[in-house]
This record gives sequence, C-alpha cells and structure tokens, in this order.
Amino acid sequence: MNRYMVGVFNDEFGLVKAFDQVKAGGNKIDEVFTPYPIHDVIVKMGRRTRISHAAFFYGIFGAASLLGFMYYASVISWPLNFGGKPTNAFPSFLVVSIVGTILIITILTLLTFSIRAKIFPGKAAVIIDPRATNDKFILVIDSNAPGFQPEKVEQVLKENGASEVYIHENPHAKL
Amino acid sequence: MYNLKIRGRHIIGDKSLGQISGDIIAPIDAKTPLWWSAALVVSLGLFGWGIYSMYITVTQGIGTWGVNNTVGWGWAIINFVWWIGIGHAGTAFSIFLLILRQTWRTAINRAAEAMTVVAVGCAALFPLLHMGRPWLFFFIFPYPNTRGPLWVNFNSPLFWDFVAISAYLLISASFWYFGMVPDFATIRDTTKSKVKKAVYGFFSFGWTGSSREWLRFEALSFVLGGIAAVLVVSVHSIVSTDFAVSVEPGWHTTIFPPYFVVGAIFSGFAMVLTLVTLMRKLYKMESFITDSHVDAVCRVLIFISLIMGTAYLTEIFMAWYSGSTYEMYTFFKNRIFGEYAFQFWAMFICNAIIPQLFWFKTVRSRLWIVFIISILINIGMWFERFNIVITSLSHNYIPANWAEYSPTIIEIGLFVGTLGMFSAGVLLFFRYIPMIAISEVKSVAKYDKEQDLTRSLSHETSEKSKTQAQH
Repeated sequence: MNRYMVGVFNDEFGLVKAFDQVKAGGNKIDEVFTPYPIHDVIVKMGRRTRISHAAFFYGIFGAASLLGFMYYASVISWPLNFGGKPTNAFPSFLVVSIVGTILIITILTLLTFSIRAKIFPGKAAVIIDPRATNDKFILVIDSNAPGFQPEKVEQVLKENGASEVYIHENPHAKL
Repeated sequence: MYNLKIRGRHIIGDKSLGQISGDIIAPIDAKTPLWWSAALVVSLGLFGWGIYSMYITVTQGIGTWGVNNTVGWGWAIINFVWWIGIGHAGTAFSIFLLILRQTWRTAINRAAEAMTVVAVGCAALFPLLHMGRPWLFFFIFPYPNTRGPLWVNFNSPLFWDFVAISAYLLISASFWYFGMVPDFATIRDTTKSKVKKAVYGFFSFGWTGSSREWLRFEALSFVLGGIAAVLVVSVHSIVSTDFAVSVEPGWHTTIFPPYFVVGAIFSGFAMVLTLVTLMRKLYKMESFITDSHVDAVCRVLIFISLIMGTAYLTEIFMAWYSGSTYEMYTFFKNRIFGEYAFQFWAMFICNAIIPQLFWFKTVRSRLWIVFIISILINIGMWFERFNIVITSLSHNYIPANWAEYSPTIIEIGLFVGTLGMFSAGVLLFFRYIPMIAISEVKSVAKYDKEQDLTRSLSHETSEKSKTQAQH
C-alpha cells in the first residue's frame, strides 16, 4: 500500500513556496494536481516533454510519404497525359502535401499525447483529491520513504498556507 | 504581458476559482429553460426542411436545383464558401491568439471552436450533395481500386479542397475536444448527479490535472495550434483556388487567396460576436464576457473590414488597370451597375462601410447595435460569395452562353436546413458543454489580482522583468 501526505492549497503561490521547502527538506514529491497548468511546478517536478520533437519527425514522415505516394500514383502506377504536362506535377502536389502533412501530424501527435500522458477513452481517473480540478492545488508527498518526518513536513505545508494536510492511502498502483 | 490598467479585468466580480467553475457549469446543471426548448424545436424544424430538400435532391437529382450549364455552381457553392468562412473564426481565434499569447481569448475560444466544428459540418454537406450521387463520394479518396487502379487527379483544386476540408474538420474537432477534457473532469468532480458523473467522467478520459498531464497538454496545444495556424490560411486559400485556377472573368486573379482568407476570418469573427453577445445575454455571462472582450472583437473587425474594403477596391482597380474588356464588363457593368448591383452594394455596404461604425465607442459599448452589425456582416459576406459566383458565371466570355440563375425552393431549403443545423448544434453546445474554457479562464484569473502578481515568483513575471530590463 502506498501512503501519501497530501497538502491542500487555496492558491498557486503557497503551493510553489511549499514545494521548494518540502523538496529542500529532502522529501520526494510524487505529483502535483492543479486546476490549470503552473509552469514553475512543472519545471520543478523535472518533467520534460518531447512531443514537439516527435511532431517534427511526424511532419517529415508525413510529407515524404505523401509526396512519395503521389509520385507513385501519377508517375509509376497510372501515368496519365493531360495536355503534355509532366506527370510529376511537383508544384501542385505541394498543396495536398502541406494539408495532408498537417493532418498526419495532428493524428500522430494526438496518439502520442494519449499514450504518454495516459489520457484515453474509458480510463478510470486515479483521483487523490477531487477538488484539484475545481479550485484547490494539491501537493502529494511520498510518505513511504525512510526518514520521512510527517510532523515536520506538515508544519512546512501549514506555514505556507495549506488549508488542509492529510494522509492518503492509495490501495492501487503508484501514481 | 497583460497590462491590467490598459486592458481591463478578465473576470468581473472578484470571483474565486470555485465560483468560476460554478458559474460556468451552472447552465449545464440548471433546468432546461423554456426558450431553449422552443429554439431547439424551431431549429430542428428548419433542419427538417433541409433534410426534406436533401431527400428530394438525392432521389430526383441536381435537376431540382436552379443551376444550368452556364451557372453550374449556384447557392450550393455560395453556402459552402460562406460556412467554411464562418468556420474559420474558431481556429483563428484560438490559434492566432494562443500564439500571440492574448489572454483575453480564454473567455471566447471555446464558443468559437464549437461554432467552427458545426459550421464546417454544414459546409461539407454542399459539395457532397452537389456530387449528385453522394453515396459514391468515396470515389474521391485515392485508394487502390479495380478501375486501373485509376487514381484521383492530384492537380485539381477540387481534390485539394476535399483534402483541406476533411483535414480541417478533423483537426478543429480534435483541437476543440482535447481543450474540453480538463473541463469535463471539472464537471465530473463537482456534479452531484450520478448520470452526469458517469457521462462526463467517460468523456474526461481519466483526466486528473497532474503535472504530467498538464505539461503534455500544453505541448499538445502548442503543436496543434502552430500547425493549425498554417491550416487556417491554407484551407481558405485552397477554397479560393477552386475559383482562381479556372478561367472565368472576375475569378482568374491572384488576389483571391488572401482575399478569401481575410473574408473568412471576417465573417467568422462576426459570427463569434453574434454568439458571445447571445451567450452573455441569455446565460448572464457578463462577468466572463466583459465589455472589454466585446470591444476587442469589434476593434479586430474594424481592421479586417478595412482590409476587405481595400480588397474590393483593388479588384475594381485591377479590372480597370488590366485593360481587359471582359474584366471591365464583369466589374463595372455586371457587378457595380448591372443586374446584380443590389448584391454588390449589399456586400460593399455591409462589409466595408457599416463595420466602420465600430470606430465609435458608443457603438461598441451598445450590445444590441454590436449584435445587429455582426449579423449584417454575415449577410454581407453571403452576398460577397453570391457576387463572386453568380455574376462571373452568368456572363462569361461568350454571350451565347449567358444565362440567368435563380434558386429553387429546394436550394433555399438546403440553406435554411443548414441554418437550422447550425443553431441546433450551437444550442446543444450551450446546454451540455461548458461554453467557456474553465481551466483557461482560471489560469488568467491571477492577472486580475495585482498584488498577487507582484507576490508571485512565477517565471512569467520574472520573464517580464527581464524583458523590461532589456528595454
């Protein structure tokens, strides 16, 4: 069973300050739940994403495969002569390539997001505190770690304006 | 960054975060208002007429329309371009303003995106029906087939159009949907109804608001936003090539792509204005859609209206400057003083002249005038497409080809049907989906509190002080 200490804050500023101090005290912060993205916290959690890099490669893949397909269809598979114009009408293939590439990037990036952020239809949400999507800022601290001093951490949280501090036991998997 | 003294507050009334979600979700939890049901019945009635017209079109053929060999594109293409244009606002709003980091977009972008999805759906009906045999529409997909395989013509603007519209529909719908996921989670976690909890819980895809999710969510919005910005510009440019690539007087011109894109954003912003004024009045969203929001959209409209006026005058100037008798005839005889003069002047006055009233603060601050002007702009934009399509086609190069065109009741029914479909879609959106992006509004609420801003150590403020130091 995983035990967490949960600090509930009313605004992001208290949360950010408490975050630093709790971390400085040598504790592990498992996750932060907020009603809207807070960049400070995301950066301090050490989280990084390469979705934009992935999107770039999807784009290259999309553009190459679309141009390749159109070349195959109109030059190799069924070369059709209209008015003696070249069958490989590269400039007019560009239009479909641009729009089609955007479509491919979107679909693949959405899939990547879905897999990496674990957001997909039918997923049951693992909710620590349901108020996190409404108006509270939730700091979840790992309290299984050896040397965890609940009183001390609770005091730090309270000093920074936590409105509630409680222990949450998660019978399921890790966060 | 956001300057409170100049731009005014995002949210009026010093609301807490909890009040923000409560106020926006309230219409979903409230009892269905009577006006809503009445409006839905009317919209579905109109849509029913549209369905009937579709039935007649499909069973009896395009002969039931008023189109003929000369005017091969009638109301169908006018309505198609008009709806696509309206559909451009959602993406333009969310994306250009997201990239420009305009925080005031947050109150309006959800409605604009919803409108986009419904409008593009309406638009897609027209080419589909105009194919004559819509059940064979899949022929337009380049798929390996037993006819050769005979591929589609990748050089045809009509095929580009098909790719553009389907991509646009899919992308704007997914952009809209993923933006709503955090808000669905808010409904899931705040509602008391078990049914709502289950339904919105399913649609929230297991969202919890963890830093892992927010990080990727933001990255996703920027990637989709960045590439969809290209799409907004390219989709309507492609629609304009349907015209510009053909050789018809008045069509064969390089001004068309920018002219169409600007026109699309113009009509879309006007429709956004119509919707937000309705939202503000009917659902009492005054504290979120503030006077400064309406004011900002009006100012954007002045600017776009000036571009529209410039485009109209440029076209007329080029017709004269080119020295081509056909162009001169189309613009001066046929459009400005000819039998389609009414449509031309309706377009010119509604799009280039009336929006100039927004220069006056008294006009911008009176909601009912803003509402009427926003409707007039959309009427004007419809006439613009009429003006482009019908005048050029009916009087082309060979006088022996000249023909008149007037729509039949079936074509009118199709148009009214899409109006009904659009209003029904918008009504359903008002009723079942948070009409303002809750999480985004919450994220800008902090800028309204100046003392909090100075207290904050967030990197946005430190960035601000850095840039100030550089200046």
